[in-house]
Amino acid sequence: MSAAIDYEAFRTDVRAFAETRCPPEIRAVVATYRKLSRKVWYPWQRILFEHGWGAPGWPKQYGGTGWDLKQRHIFDEVMAECDCPPQYHHGLRHIGPVILEYGSEEQKQRFLPGILSGEEWWCQGYSEPGAGSDLASLRTAARREGDEYVVEGQKTWTSHAHEADWMYTLVRTSKEAKNQQGISLLLIPLNAPGISIRPIRTIDGWHHVNEVFLDNVRVPVANRVGEEGGGWTYGKFLLERERLGGANVAPALRQLERTRELLARELGGERHRLKRAMLEERLLLAEAELRGAQALGQEAIAAVMEGRPLGLLPSVLKLGTSVTFQHVAEVALDAVGERLAPRFRPTDAAGPNAEAPGIEWVQNYMYSRVRTIYGGSSEVQKNVIAKQLFGS
Amino acid sequence: MPFTATPIVGGDAFDQACRIGQEADRQLALIDDPAGHLACLRRHWDSLAGLGWLAVAMPEEAGGAGGTLSDLAALAGGAGRGGLPLPIAAACGVIPRLLADQPALLPGLAEGQHRIAFIPAEAAVDDAADVLILASDGSLTGAVVGIETPPDPTHLLLVLGGAEPALLLLPARARGIEARHYLRIDGRPAADWRFTGLAVEPAWVLGRGEVVARRAAEARDLGALLTCVEAVSAAGALLEQTIDYLLNRVQFGVPLASHQALRHRVAEMYVEYENLRGLVLQALRMAAADDGMPWRDIAFAKLRLGEAGRFIAQSAIQCHGGMGMTEALPAIRLARRIMMAEFEFGDRTFHAQRLLDAGRSAA
Repeated sequence: MSAAIDYEAFRTDVRAFAETRCPPEIRAVVATYRKLSRKVWYPWQRILFEHGWGAPGWPKQYGGTGWDLKQRHIFDEVMAECDCPPQYHHGLRHIGPVILEYGSEEQKQRFLPGILSGEEWWCQGYSEPGAGSDLASLRTAARREGDEYVVEGQKTWTSHAHEADWMYTLVRTSKEAKNQQGISLLLIPLNAPGISIRPIRTIDGWHHVNEVFLDNVRVPVANRVGEEGGGWTYGKFLLERERLGGANVAPALRQLERTRELLARELGGERHRLKRAMLEERLLLAEAELRGAQALGQEAIAAVMEGRPLGLLPSVLKLGTSVTFQHVAEVALDAVGERLAPRFRPTDAAGPNAEAPGIEWVQNYMYSRVRTIYGGSSEVQKNVIAKQLFGS
Repeated sequence: MPFTATPIVGGDAFDQACRIGQEADRQLALIDDPAGHLACLRRHWDSLAGLGWLAVAMPEEAGGAGGTLSDLAALAGGAGRGGLPLPIAAACGVIPRLLADQPALLPGLAEGQHRIAFIPAEAAVDDAADVLILASDGSLTGAVVGIETPPDPTHLLLVLGGAEPALLLLPARARGIEARHYLRIDGRPAADWRFTGLAVEPAWVLGRGEVVARRAAEARDLGALLTCVEAVSAAGALLEQTIDYLLNRVQFGVPLASHQALRHRVAEMYVEYENLRGLVLQALRMAAADDGMPWRDIAFAKLRLGEAGRFIAQSAIQCHGGMGMTEALPAIRLARRIMMAEFEFGDRTFHAQRLLDAGRSAA
């Protein structure tokens, strides 16, 4: 019963845990916007797992916490406020719930424990060079040969492929069926013969995403989740579950707070008087927007818990918060830009300026541009909103 | 089904206020002369006083309805949606709050015979030399401009700021007070007031000292909050009407609503509207949880009203094309109302300044 839960006491517990048990070196990575790799994520997941908090969103019988949506939201908020890595892994948040819902008993036994403990790391094989926003037009093909599929094609924008063990992959198993119906979901080990992975160089200089080439990769049929041809449904299930991502404004508020500290540090003295005043005002406007989004996020969570429809809230939150996040990143760039933008390195390679103090603000700004592109671009969100508002 | 806005606080009071607002707006659109306009506003003022709006927030022991902030928000929201050009935030919220300890005045206020114009300590002046001064001999000098008033104001409720704060209730027709009455761009009555050595009688001084400054600041924040509720509600109606216009206006053989540029502009208006609605909801929640005014939440909401309200109003005008530049459509009257709301009870920089100052002194 949610009425019996003392949410403020819960928040206090989570905070105490985060502050005492999350190693300072891990929190330092988050606080300075360094790249969150498996090396950083795994030890923290391990600590959470050993405490019984390995999977906030899963049912108790599979190692989940049994928390309600509001508790999970509080947990995510506190993680951000305490500079802990967001517990957002592809295994835990994406494929895990799909296996729980649609996977066979064998698949549950085989895959869920590794996801929960963090021993096995996952990536998502969805997008392709010809299938970005229009995912249903994907072409990577799997043809059946006895107990195996033979997979041929290319995936792109694959986050974590270079450090993952497994890729959950949407493939086309039928060319006859309508676009959405010929798609199946396969679990493919990344050490399988025929797989090659190439990094994509992104403007922020980090290595997050890759191209994954599948050249006659043989995958047991037992690694298919659910029915052949049902992949689109499972993929959508997964995206639906993450629709409320925008409701957690805490990471943006934390970044805003850090940026405010940066202004105080960076822009003392008469020389920067106007700049400081202007940037402080921009931050204040961003804070107002984030507080508005925070209130809407609470409304969205209440709606889900009371079984009311969410309407356009997920799109409004995604669209609004992504832009505000970018505004905050821009304020920081403007605070340090003269000094640090010229020294920002274009690649991951450790150049002479790789460790220049504060360089991460420039990098974070470059990274922030993706927020209005991924997870349904701003333009796609506006189409969604307008369709609903105009009634067609 | 195209979009329909949900009231922040709905119910009978909201519906009634909305209906009266729409009726007033319709009637006023057909009246050309200022005197006719004022007469019409006066009729509506008397009728809403008769309906008990002015007593909603007054304590029951003084003959009021003992209503909550939520009751006030229902009225302000309905009036905003209907486009009622009367000072609801001041008349139903700010003034009763400031006069709550003046039992002798409340009946006349509740029944609408005392029609009081509220002059805040922050009232604008044309010239620095016009700042109001209450001299030690009790004479008041100075001039304030752009003061929103009820129709035919009978009194002025004046907050004096500075080192010696005071709350004065002046008869509007006292010797030494000059008024210039006019209508604002949102159709509301307003006036400039000049005081030339007005002899303030001791009975007109309702309070002095720090307590006045504190209560006046709280009352101003209540006014800002109700203005936000009203403006959000107006923005919801404005969105509906803009969508309706785009769906029905055909050019080059297709409805304007088929153009992505316009659809996206409306989507942006909606995001701004929702964000502002979130802030106002939050401020109302905080205010209900506590006796005092949650000034920080209100300041953020009012700051956003400056940004979001202006964007929504300007976008609505743009989406209506040439019709957006005329006074013919209710939508554009709502747009002008939203633009004006920014300048009531502290504009965006006023509230930004408060927030920044508080942040600095905390650091």
